[in-house]
Amino acid sequence: MKALILGAALAALLHITPTVILVKRQDAVAHLLPGADQFSERELHLSSADSRKIHDAVGWEPPDGVVTFYVGKHQDQTVGALMFMRVDCQHGPLELAIGFEPTGSVRGVEVTKATVEMKPWVLEALRAGLTDAYKGMGVNDAPAGANKVKPRIGSMPGYMAELIDKGVMHANAAYRLFYH
Amino acid sequence: MLYDLRHSDLRVRWLVTLLLATLGTSYLFGAWMVGLYAGFSPKRVAQTYGPNGELMTMQMPPETTMVTERPVAMGEMVEEQHHVDLNLLVQDTHVHMPMYAVIAAALAVITLGLSLSRSLSLAIITLLFAAPWLDFAGMWLTKLVSPGFAIVTLAGGWAMALGYTIVAAIAIWQMWLGRKTAP
Repeated sequence: MKALILGAALAALLHITPTVILVKRQDAVAHLLPGADQFSERELHLSSADSRKIHDAVGWEPPDGVVTFYVGKHQDQTVGALMFMRVDCQHGPLELAIGFEPTGSVRGVEVTKATVEMKPWVLEALRAGLTDAYKGMGVNDAPAGANKVKPRIGSMPGYMAELIDKGVMHANAAYRLFYH
Repeated sequence: MLYDLRHSDLRVRWLVTLLLATLGTSYLFGAWMVGLYAGFSPKRVAQTYGPNGELMTMQMPPETTMVTERPVAMGEMVEEQHHVDLNLLVQDTHVHMPMYAVIAAALAVITLGLSLSRSLSLAIITLLFAAPWLDFAGMWLTKLVSPGFAIVTLAGGWAMALGYTIVAAIAIWQMWLGRKTAP
């Protein structure tokens, strides 16, 4: 019976909480591709060589072998590109939207989804100004948002900030290697 | 029968009733969630758990990276079809299998206290544990072998509901409604 209770407690602890929307995708698109009224989806099915290339660069490759960019235009002028990026951890998935300027720098980052458990940690990291650190960074730069906010936030929000850094790093690598 | 629920202390019968009510409620919400995210038809389950390109890519990556570009409306960009990829399925299996085992064990412990033949008890206990195995085996086979195996996941889900309904109905009947014979 003791083992049963312990098992139940363990299972409850391990259970990933439901996903909540922090920013609607539609709002993220409006923030990150401002003024765009025409959109296209650029889908890349990576060859094994390209999968290896991105893996060698950042230790990650898209799990389904597919990278998708959304390109926004206004009056046939490119406003920028956007990627949705999922980052998994033992507490569940995070979803980020990463916007790029036509010049190739990062326009901004929005955290669009988290789990119920992760939401307060993510919000604490965001309130500390985490995403400000990404604005204008080059796609060759290593994201350092977590290091900037960590002294001002708790350990779990700090961990979330590291995960968001990681997601931005993956998106930057995908953009740098495959967008053009 | 290892113990007798029918003649057990009121507190034990109350505990079992509340456990069954709580599990039943969570099952109803589980069914609602399945309806929202995966559906009850083999086609929708196959779309949710099927390869969606990733395994084809894993097995046969193109010689060179293939790029396709098409115009999309805002609605298509923000609308997501819920799809469980390989990584998410690994995570789902890891976190849900222990929970399913505990639920099956709790229902099996209740079964042991029911006045049933040995073979019927064995059959119910087998059903309780077979259901989650079928559920996840179906998801993995749909992912790795063929979308046709979505039917196995559906069978697992229905088997889970059937197992719960059998145990709950017999337990409630024997604990509260049926005629109590001398133990």
